[in-house]
Order: sequence, then C-alpha cells, then structure tokens
Amino acid sequence: MTQILHFGALGLYALAAALLGVSLARGSRTLPRLATGVLALGVAAHLADLAAYAGRWQELPLVGLGPSLSVLALLVAVGSLALATLGRTGPIGLVLVPVAAVVLAAADAVGVRPGGEEMAFRGVWFVLHVVAALLAYAGLAVAFAAGLMYLLQFRELKSKRFGAVFRFFPPLETLDHIGRGALLAGLPLLTAALLLGWAWTERFHHPLSAGNPKVVWGVLTWLVFAGALAVRAGGGRREHRAALASVLGFAVVVAAYLFLRVSTASSAGFL
Amino acid sequence: MTLAVVGASHRTAPIEVRERLAFGRAELPAALARLAAEARGEAVLLSTCNRTEVYLALPGGGDGAEAARGLLASRLGAEAAGAARWLYEHRDRAAAAHLYRVAAGMDSMILGEPQILGQAREAYEAARETADEHGSVVGPALNRLFQSAFSVAGRVRSETGLGRGAASVPSAAVELARKIFGSLRGRRALVLGAGEMSEITLECLRGEGVRAAVVANRTHARACELAARLGGEAIRWDGFDAALPGVDIVVCSTAAPHPVLTRERFRAALPGGAPRPLCIIDIALPRDVEPAVGDEPNVFLYNVDDLQQVVEDNLGRRREELAGAEAIIARGVEEFWSWYASLAVVPTIRALREQGEAVRRAEVERALRQLAHLSAADQDAIDALTRALVNKLLHAPTVKLRDAAGNGRGTAAVDTVRYLFELDPDAHPSPHDQETE
Repeated sequence: MTQILHFGALGLYALAAALLGVSLARGSRTLPRLATGVLALGVAAHLADLAAYAGRWQELPLVGLGPSLSVLALLVAVGSLALATLGRTGPIGLVLVPVAAVVLAAADAVGVRPGGEEMAFRGVWFVLHVVAALLAYAGLAVAFAAGLMYLLQFRELKSKRFGAVFRFFPPLETLDHIGRGALLAGLPLLTAALLLGWAWTERFHHPLSAGNPKVVWGVLTWLVFAGALAVRAGGGRREHRAALASVLGFAVVVAAYLFLRVSTASSAGFL
Repeated sequence: MTLAVVGASHRTAPIEVRERLAFGRAELPAALARLAAEARGEAVLLSTCNRTEVYLALPGGGDGAEAARGLLASRLGAEAAGAARWLYEHRDRAAAAHLYRVAAGMDSMILGEPQILGQAREAYEAARETADEHGSVVGPALNRLFQSAFSVAGRVRSETGLGRGAASVPSAAVELARKIFGSLRGRRALVLGAGEMSEITLECLRGEGVRAAVVANRTHARACELAARLGGEAIRWDGFDAALPGVDIVVCSTAAPHPVLTRERFRAALPGGAPRPLCIIDIALPRDVEPAVGDEPNVFLYNVDDLQQVVEDNLGRRREELAGAEAIIARGVEEFWSWYASLAVVPTIRALREQGEAVRRAEVERALRQLAHLSAADQDAIDALTRALVNKLLHAPTVKLRDAAGNGRGTAAVDTVRYLFELDPDAHPSPHDQETE
C-alpha cells in the first residue's frame, strides 16, 4: 500500500510537471489549472503515504535518508501548491515540481524505511530540529525556483523576446517577492534548526565536532541564506543579484551535500 | 417565427457610410419604436463606430427585415437607393450566430476586443427601456437571444484565449510594464510629450492603478492641460531629468526630430544607475530614447516596433483560438434555437391542455350530478383521478411537440396535433391533405 501511494505521488508529480511543461510550450490557459489539480492529488497521495509510514513503523518519517528526503519532497510540493493556489503563481511549479519529483525519486532509490543509528534521545527537540531544517531547505528550493525564473524572465525582457517564457512566467517583481519571502522565512527556521541541533547534542552528551558533515553542511547552508539576503543591500541590480545568489547558493548547497554524502557513505542517516 | 439581423459593419461599409448609419443614444427610442411598429415584432438596434445592426424577432414571420432595410437606407439620404450593397442580412440560426460572434468580439476590427460586449449590453438596455403602444420593443425572443449572447460571449472569453494579451500599442505597453512590475498599482509614471498617444497610454496606465503621473512637454501649458485632465502633475521640460529617479515607468511620445533622452543624459540623471527596474516605453517616431539607454542595468527599453510585435503575437494567438470559440458559438446557437423553436408550439400546447381540462371538467360535473350521494372526499378523489388521467394522456403529446420543435419539425407536428384534437374552430386540413395538395 505504502509503495502504491509513494509511486502514485511520484507519478502525479511527474504528470503535473509535464503538464506545466506543455503549458509553457503551448501557452495554454487551462493546463496550468489541471496541473495544480494533479499536484494537489500528488500531495494528498504523498501525505497518505507518510501517514501510512508512521502507522507502520510507529515513528515519524524524520530519521534516515529516505524518509527525510520524502518529507523534504512533500514540503517542496506543498510550497508549489500554495504558490499556485494562494499566490496564483502556478508557473513556478515548472521548476519546483520537478525538484519535488527528483527528491522523491531519490528517496525511493535509497529506500523509505527507518534508518540511521538508534537514538535513545529522540524527542520533541529532535522533531523540531528536523522539521525546522527541512522547512528551511524547502524555502531554499522555492528561492532557487523563483531566482532561476527571474533570471530567465529578466533575460527575455531585456532582449525583447516575447516568446513562451515572457508569456508563461510570472512578472519579475512577483518572482523577486517569492524569492525574498522564502529566504526571509527560511533563515530563522534554519537558525532555529541549527541551535536546536546544537543544544540537543549538548544536552545528551553527543556533541558534534566542527568537522562533522552535519555541522559543515548546516553552517554552509546558513551562509548561503545569509549571503542571498545580504546581496540585496546596496544599489544597482539588487533583485538580479539576489536571484543569482539564490540559484548559485542552491547549487552550492546541493553539491556540498552530495560531496559530503559520498565522503561519509557509511552513514544511513540524512548525512 | 423569424429572427433576423440587418446591418452594416466595418467588413461591408467604409467609414463614410458607417458614420451616417450610426445612431446616437437620443435617436434610439424613436427608431426602435418605428421598427417595432413597422416590422410588427421585437427590435434591438446596436450602433457603434464599427457597426449599425438591427435585430428583429418577428412572431408572425413576415418580412419585417424590409422595415430595417428601409430605416437604414433612409439614413443614407441621396444614396438610399444604393444602400443594399453596404447591408447584410442573416436569418434565424445565422442571425443568432452573428450576434454571438459580435458580442464575443469575433467580428470586431480588433479580434477579441472586449468593448463590443458592453456596447451590445447598452443597446439591449436601451431597447428594453423603449416602449411603443404594445409595450417594450424587446419581448421574450430578443430578451433570451441577447441574454444568451452575453453568456456565450463570457464563455468564449473565459474558455478560450480570444481576449488574451494586448491588442493595441498602448495596451501592449501596459502588458510589458506588468511583466516587470506585476501590479502597476501605486507606480509612478513620467510622460514625455503631451500628444494623443501619450494621453491614451497614460489613460491605460492609470486604468491599471498607476498612482502618480508626471507630464513634461515643451509647451508647458499643454502639459498642464493633460496633467489636469488625467490627474497628474505637470513639470517643466527642462526638469524631467530630475523626475527620472522617482519613477518606475517612462512613456515618451514627443515630436522631437532627435532623441531627447540620451545615454549621457540618463547617466547624468541617474549617476548610480537605475536603483530599481525602470520601464521606458518609447512610442515616438523618430524615437525619443537613444537605444544605448536600453543597455543600462535595470532599464527595460521598448520602442513602437517592440510593442507592435507584442500586439501581432497576441493577435496571432487569438486567431488560433477561433476554432474553439466557433464551437462554443455553435453550441450556444443550438441551445437558443431549441428554445426559440419551442415558442412556436407553446400556443398549441396551451390549447391542447385547455381543451383537455374543459372536457375533463364537463365530464366530471356530469358524472357527479349522477353521483350526488358520494361524500365530498369521494368527489375530490374522482376529480383528482380525472385530472391525473388527462395529465398523463397529454404528457406524451406535449413532450413530443417540444421535441419536434427543437428538431425543426414543429410546424408539421403542430398541424397534426391541431387536426387530431380539433384545436382550431375552423376545419383544418390534415397533413396528408397538405401533402396531397
């Protein structure tokens, strides 16, 4: 049952992404609405899948690489759905939904089952730490999507190309607002996640060294958030700089994760 | 029952003819009353700068369209005799389809333009407010036709892309600005030049919520006049550089023979570059803004060719939507026609029902005279029983009559029913007799 729901959610995400791609190519008005509906079904299937996981394993899907990636994919998909329905900026799903699908596929590849070391000190602090961190990463994904689309739309407008991107993508300022909002929401969440993680390990006498991959990646991500917000200071093309920083920062965070992951291949945890 | 439209539009008549055919709002009541009286039917007169059309519903059939032709020809004075070459006429389904296309903007000079829908509503309202000695000149047929036209036009706009995208240079300017800023509410605009294009573009921008407009013109009085009319602020021509840092949108439409905004001047006005996106719309010929200004960071510069490209792209996409729009129109016409054709059978259905009720009542009264010993409850039961019997017997003929009307066989069905049930006081020939004849 869990497998059906999981692959169902993955299939629906892929279908929603494909519908958005066709909408971009054809300039269709109705397909984005259909894509939003399909995405909503995907989110529902994904939620049911994670609920089934919690019921089956008697724990929240927050420990281990597969479950964590699955929750991250869900948060990204929920972000895309919220932007499509509340913010009426469904086209941002053109980037976000494939991100959610890829992350969910990665979760499938590594296996969605409890993993990682047995931790006797799991509790509310741990849950808050993981949830805040995953929400922050989802925020970074939203900022990346908005930034990438900003750069493409900016190029189209500047070079006077009034094609599919011009028609389908949201206005520059809307994309900038989404990116800024995602970073502004993500930074405090990530800060809280890092502090909670630190306090949690200290409390249970498992302090992490400065060279621990979790610490390295957490601090690097925090710096990316702070940097993407900091480049907005000053004059000139602030929005353009911020979009570029979001895109590059996301790429750096993903690359760093993959590098750290490979270098610590024995771990069954998130990192 | 006939439905007809007689008129002339930009497709059939040049502007010199169209302007003479046009009716002012004050002329409509008299013209409508005359039409309704002469045509002996319902009438609506739609008159815009691109078309003058008379819509008629003629319950008695007849050739009321001649009255419409006469009315329109009379507007042409000495050329009345040759009016026929400017006029077109559609009847029945084609007339309904024509109105639907007109209301949806499919017959407009600019494909998909929305103003015609409002003008059709105004024409309909004007006719509803006009009455002759028989009452309003709009009856059930045109009432239903126009209401369905508004509904079909709404569906065409919402279900197809026929109204999407800018279809004029000023609205293309707004579309481009919106792609940069999203909402234009509260934005500031600087207008260089106080000509007609500036005015139209500024009107479009203000319609989108642009809050403050600063107008600069070489003739300051003209700038003041435009600023006062459109609710902006006039500044001296020499001072427009100082206004540049505070605006989001610049519209240039001067008659200057050389660029008024050069890169040097731009850099002098904004030494650190544009602090936020600046949209410059240059609709002047020759151009007012040096192309190099468009290379400045954060500056989006568009000239009239760029805007025209947006318009052409949009119109091309609108044309691609025509097939979908035609399908909606066809469905709307069939729905309307099904209802309209059923109007022809209504008197027969009513007569059939009245006759059935009269026979029932007479028979019940006769029977109850012989059954006077029955209680009131029993008598009521007999009354209800007979009413149910008559209703059930007449149900099938009623439904079949309506179906036949919808299928275009209403006349034959009406004749048959009236013959079989002897609904006409005079002897009525049977369908068979008619065929024999």
